[in-house]
Formats: sequence, structure tokens, C-alpha cells
Amino acid sequence: MDEDVLTTLKILIIGESGVGKSSLLLRFTDDTFDPELAATIGVDFKVKTISVDGNKAKLAIWDTAGQERFRTLTPSYYRGAQGVILVYDVTRRDTFVKLDNWLNELETYCTRNDIVNMLVGNKIDKENREVDRNEGLKFARKHSMLFIEASAKTCDGVQCAFEELVEKIIQTPGLWESETQNKGVKLSHREEGHGGGACGGYCSVL
Amino acid sequence: MSVEGLAWVGSEFPGSPKTQKLDSGSLSETLRRKSVAVYTNKMCLLKEGVVRGLGMATWDRPREAKPAVEGEPPLPTGRELAEANRFAYAALYGISLSQLFPEPEQSSFCTEFMAGLVKWLELSETVLPTMTAFANGLGGEGADVFVEILLKDPILKKDPLVITQDLLSFSLKDGRYDARARVLVCRMNSLLQVPLEELDFLEETFLESLKETKEEESETAEASRKKKENRRKWKRYLLIGLATVGGGTVIGVTGGLAAPLVAAGAATIIGSAGAAALGSVAGIAVMTSLFGAAGAGLTGYKMKKRVGAIEEFTFLPLTEGRQLHITIAITGWLASGKYRTFSAPWAALARSREQYCLAWEAKYLMELGNALETILSGLANMVAQEALKYTVLSGIVAALTWPASLLAVANVIDNPWGVCLHRSAEVGKHLAHILLSRQQGQRPVSLIGFSLGARVIYFCLQEMAQEKDCQGIIEDVILLGAPVEGDAKHWEPFRKVVSGRIINGYCRGDWLLSFVYRTSSVQLRVAGLQPVQLQDRRVENVDLSSVVSGHLDYAKQMDIILKAVGIRTKPGWDEKGLLLAPGSLPQEEPRQAAATPSSAETSHQAGRTQGPTPEDASKVAMSVNSSQAQVSAGLDRPEGASLPEAASPAESSHICSHGMDPNPLGCPDCANNIQEPCPGLD
Repeated sequence: MDEDVLTTLKILIIGESGVGKSSLLLRFTDDTFDPELAATIGVDFKVKTISVDGNKAKLAIWDTAGQERFRTLTPSYYRGAQGVILVYDVTRRDTFVKLDNWLNELETYCTRNDIVNMLVGNKIDKENREVDRNEGLKFARKHSMLFIEASAKTCDGVQCAFEELVEKIIQTPGLWESETQNKGVKLSHREEGHGGGACGGYCSVL
Repeated sequence: MSVEGLAWVGSEFPGSPKTQKLDSGSLSETLRRKSVAVYTNKMCLLKEGVVRGLGMATWDRPREAKPAVEGEPPLPTGRELAEANRFAYAALYGISLSQLFPEPEQSSFCTEFMAGLVKWLELSETVLPTMTAFANGLGGEGADVFVEILLKDPILKKDPLVITQDLLSFSLKDGRYDARARVLVCRMNSLLQVPLEELDFLEETFLESLKETKEEESETAEASRKKKENRRKWKRYLLIGLATVGGGTVIGVTGGLAAPLVAAGAATIIGSAGAAALGSVAGIAVMTSLFGAAGAGLTGYKMKKRVGAIEEFTFLPLTEGRQLHITIAITGWLASGKYRTFSAPWAALARSREQYCLAWEAKYLMELGNALETILSGLANMVAQEALKYTVLSGIVAALTWPASLLAVANVIDNPWGVCLHRSAEVGKHLAHILLSRQQGQRPVSLIGFSLGARVIYFCLQEMAQEKDCQGIIEDVILLGAPVEGDAKHWEPFRKVVSGRIINGYCRGDWLLSFVYRTSSVQLRVAGLQPVQLQDRRVENVDLSSVVSGHLDYAKQMDIILKAVGIRTKPGWDEKGLLLAPGSLPQEEPRQAAATPSSAETSHQAGRTQGPTPEDASKVAMSVNSSQAQVSAGLDRPEGASLPEAASPAESSHICSHGMDPNPLGCPDCANNIQEPCPGLD
């Protein structure tokens, strides 16, 4: 099964507490929805293989805890991530306002700058909307992010969000290939090491 | 989703574990009694090795037991950390697991341990998938962030040992000490910048607490000094953390026979409910689990009948102490004079407080040693030896290049060498089965050997690798100048057996080893002559060429070699080693022999590293004093007389600064520390 997988991508989901990060993930991986989902502790981890444009990609998705007390842990997941999903709640303006903080954190802890970001406005099924779609779109454009509005409850846009993100990552040269290229280099390094050893033997004979 | 409640409670108040504890303290006594009784039944099963995932039943127990310690604030444990930090702690543990044991055959162990720790730390079960991901090698990039988080924790800042002791109690919670668990604790220690000595100290403390339980009452009556008081708290913590976990995990240091005494002592600490469990048959059974059958352990092992071609096979104690991990040293050959005993080369070895050396086939090893010496004396010309060394170094090892003078005496060595090669393989296989049957108890073993002793280890590992339950027994192995195959593919299976390090100490200029392999060494890679090219984190090749100039040096330079490969040696040994070397002080032997009838030499070293037992203290005082007296009287050994003045003060100051070692010079500060009673040893 693993053989036809093109690559493994590390995706990170961040955002304020209670915006529905875990629900989005649960909808995407298990296609379920639990309105009473408990707060994530530390980080949650799920794996899913999806097929985009005929390419199979294995997604290792790290769903971080939004709660303040787990904030210290978040920096440890940024490293090596190829895609970040930044989630806000369209019915809570404060979660939208705080996006800037998250972007700051992203900038501080991300090891690469070509990482693909996606902004997701969640809970569009609710009626008491506080953040307009255009506002979200504007914010996303300003920070050159992908944008989609979604609802984990009604399954609206969830699949699409992940697929689009993966597509963009695969289209970005050097973002995911570098991983495999690195491995290649490592291997040849090892072989070089062997060669070196043999050479050492030679030298002492001479 | 029943666990959510727990998680939420923790979220609102970071200190909530404490509140919970108070609640559980008000549990009725009967309830507690009942739970311990239930637990005792579990321990019966445990002894059979049926219940391994005991964590499930035990993880909430220490909390209940805490109220039993009256008037003392509970010591911080891993559970008291904030939830985020407990998460980081568990995650770091998972990452370490995946880094140390990435092999597929270890994955069940990793998952099991990870699940155990999550429960132990009272983390919500919802984190389990994530932790399993960490344990399977995902998310390892964040390790340093977790370390940073933990190092910033206020509890850990105050006392960096919290995690070490928490992990130690976690590792021991079901009455067995897996070698992998110890390697993990060491890894976590190094990640969290806790010196390894602290782990040794904690292990010691735990054992001492058991030794002292008998005298606990009278001791509490004394007004002890504050430092001692602190140490007792540690012990109590450990005792409580472990004993209550089953009411039975307390180990009989003194063996099965003394176990009821241990139970009686423990009763004063953990209350009658726990003691009932301790005194029960099941409790005693588990007590013997860690230390081997009936407490006799390895020394009690007698080869019942001749096994295969082996004529001699016994374990001699090198030290008198007891430790949660042991080291077995294996000598490669015996010679006349100083190195006529098996224990002689290991005088400086101080890897653990409980060390043994394997006595095997003395007759043949003596023959071999004599042959080796004959060869050397045959080549009395040092120039010839040096020339040989460089010939070997240059790599031109063909039968034709050997000097005629050496070939003339070849028959002297070839026969005993051949016999010993064969015997060492047999002995190694036998040793493997002893270790597999856990004669040493459920605790990690490290093996160290030189020359044919290393070959014994090689075959021991090879034999163990063929068995199913070979994992988690061996911690480290150190092979020095091993006359064995050095091909990576032969060492590959050892990864499964060895949890810690595989050290191959080799010497490129070992002409003797090249010589005995002269017919085959062209196509054969000998491990004692070159590095083993196995890509694994365990394998460490140490080039000893600058330390060892010939095969015979492995015994003579052992203390330097041990330092070179990073094995702890006895403090001050390098200066006084020759002075105090066994056999060099014959007039002292009778007294030492009285203390340890089995081996006169060993008591020397025992005394020098032992903990604060009065016997040890007096012994050290005796041995140090007597050696000093001899020095001042003008010892006839020139090598000993050359260094004594410099050595003695250094050593004594070292002992006093530790505050826990014996007190040879009568320093009043330390004198108070060494009066701890040591029941059960007489």
C-alpha cells in the first residue's frame, strides 16, 4: 500500500481554542462529527492517505490544542511541516482577530518559508455569523494564504480544504521533494563512508 | 469519552492533581484494604509473567497511599507536573523510545511502555494515539522543544530529579527492571541534563530503603540530621511509589528468606494494609522477582552436571553490594603472578555496585596464558615485537611475513588457543541460557570481557538472539580484543538482544591476535583487530591501538581501557591501582578473606565502592589505613611507593565530599553519615 504513495506530508492544524480544529480533522479522517468533542490535550495525531491529481499522498496531520495551557507545546510541531491549516470560527470575531498572533507564531517557529498556509473559516452552518466571507478572503490574500469556508458539522468544504492544500504543496517545487532528495543524499553519504574506509585501508598499505 | 471529565478538571486548575489527592485521602480504610487485596491477587499472576500491562490497575494507586505518610508534604512526582508538561514528558519519552528502539520487533514493547506511561502520568487516554505516533518515530523533530519546556518547569527547576525518580518507579512498577527501560531512563537523563550518577544514586537509595526498613522505627526515634532526613524522604517516596503499586513490588534485597522482615519494616511506613500484602506469599514471590531465585542469584548458581564440554563455570562476586543492575566481567586468560585469578584484571571496574566475574575453564585459560607468555619471552627482543606490531598495523598480514622465530613456537600457542576458542563458545552458550532463565533476577545485565572473554560474550549474544524472549535482559556489552568474526552481518542479530551499547574495543596492532588467526585472517575480519561496520546507534568502535600495544595488555591496562571506552572506574584507582592490586598485599589477605570467604581479592574493591554500611566503612578504613601504613613504612613495591602521597589526600577528600561514602580519615562530618545500620547482611 505504501509503495504507490508519492510522499508523506506533515500538516499542522492551528487556531484558537474551540474553533473546531479537531472536528475538521475528525470529519476529514473518520467522516464523523461530535458536537461535544472534548478539548484536545497537547496534540492529536491522525494519518490519512488521499489521492490528488492521481498522486497518492500520505498525510500525517498534527492537530494542536488551542488552549492556552498547551500553547508552550505548539512550537514543537511546526518543524518539518509542509502545510499549515489556520482555523477560525466565523461566529466568533475574537478568533479571527487573533489570527495575527498565530501568523506571528508561524513565522517564528517554522523552519522553512515556502510552507503552504491555508485559512479555514469554520462553522458556516451556524446562523450568528460575525465574520464575513470577504473579510476572511481579504485576510488570506494579504498573507498569501489559501482560503476556504467550511463546516465540520455539515461536511461543507472539509474535503476540499485538505485536497486543495495538498495539491498546492505538491505543486510547490522543493517543498516535498526535498524530503526524498535528502534521503537520497543520506544514502549516498553512507556509501561514501564505506568507500572511505576501503580507501583508508589502501593508504596504510602504501 | 468518560475520561474527558478528568482532562477538563485538570484544565481549569493546574494544581488539580493535589485536590484529587486530598479527596482520595479521605477514602475509607476498608476501601483501600480491599484494593490492595485485589492487587495482591494480580501480583500472583504477575509473577508468572501473565499480567504485563499492570499499569492499568496500578496507575492510581500511589495517590491513595500518600496520606499514609503523615506530616510530610508529598514529594513532587511526575504526576504533579502541569498537564502540558506531563504531555511533553510523555512525548519526550515516546520520542526517545522510537529513537532507541526503532526495530520492528521492539514495536510492541514501545507501544506497551508508552501506554503504561500515559496511565502512570494520569494523562487522558485521548492522547494515546499521539503518543503511539511519537513512539513510532513520528514527530521526533520537536524533541528539543519538549526538553526546553520541561527544563523550564518550576517543579523540575527546583528538583531536576523528579522525572528520573518518576521514571525509575515507573520502570520498576511491575517488579521487573527491563534493560530497555534502564537505557531509556539514561537517555531521558541525558536529554534533561541530569548526570547519570543521580540515577545510580536513586537506585541505591531505593535498595537502601529496603535494607533499612527493619531498623526504621529506632531510626525515626533518633533525631537525625537534616540531610539524612531528606534522603529518607526520597526513600520513602520510592518505597511508597513502588510498594503500594502492588503492596508487593518491594524487593527482597536479602533474598526470599528475609522478605517477611522487609514487609514488617515496610508496614511502619505504608500502613498495615500494604504490609499484609507484602507478607503474603505472593508478595514474597514478587520480591524475589528482581533479584533472582531465593536471593542467591548468580553466586548461588551451580552447574549441576557437566554441560557439554564445560568443566568449570561459576560466578565470583567482585563486589559485595546489591544494585538494580549488574555487571558480569569475563576474563580472557589467566597468567602466573598477578593475573592468576579471574578477578584480577577487573580490580578497577566500577560499573555497578553489584559485579561478578565468571570463572570458567581455569585450567585451559592458565595454559593459554602460559603459552602467551612463552611466546612473548621467545620474542624477548622488544625491537622484534615493535616491528611485528607495525607489520600488523600496515595491514600486510600474510603467513609469509611472520618471523621464523615466532613460527617456531607456534605450536605452543596453537593448541591451547584452539581448545580455548572451542570452550569459550560453549561457555558463552551456557551463559546465555543462564541469563535467559533469569538466574540474575529481572534486572539488566551488562557484560564485559577481553580476549576470549569477549568471545564468550559473542557466543552468549549469538545464542540469546535465537531465543524469543531475549529482549530487555542485556544492557551494555563491551568486547575488548575479541577473537571473533567482525563482519557486520554476524553482529546484526545482537541489536535485538542488546538494549544499550555494543562496544567493540579493538587494536590494529595486536600482532598476537593476527598471529593466531594467521591462517585465516586474510579473508576473516577479526573484531579485535578492526571496527565492526554495523550501522546502528548501539555499536561503538573504540580504537585502543594507542593504549594496547599487544594482546596481553588487555588485562594489564584494563583500568585505562575502561576509561577509554567510557566505563566508570573506581575513583583514585589509577594512582593506587598498582599499590592495592590483589596479591600485592599478601599480609592483608587473611583479614579480607574473613569478610568474604569466596574471594579475598574482591573484598578490596568492594570496600572501596560500597555504600555506607558499617562493615564496608570499617573495611575501607582498614584497607586505606593499612596501605598508607605500608607506604610510609617503605613498601618494597616501587610502583606503589611512587605515588602514595599524591593519591591518598585526593581520595579521602573525594570520599568526604560525597558525604555518603565511607570515612577513612575520620572526618567528623562524614562520620555521622556512615552509621546507618545494615540489617539482614549478617
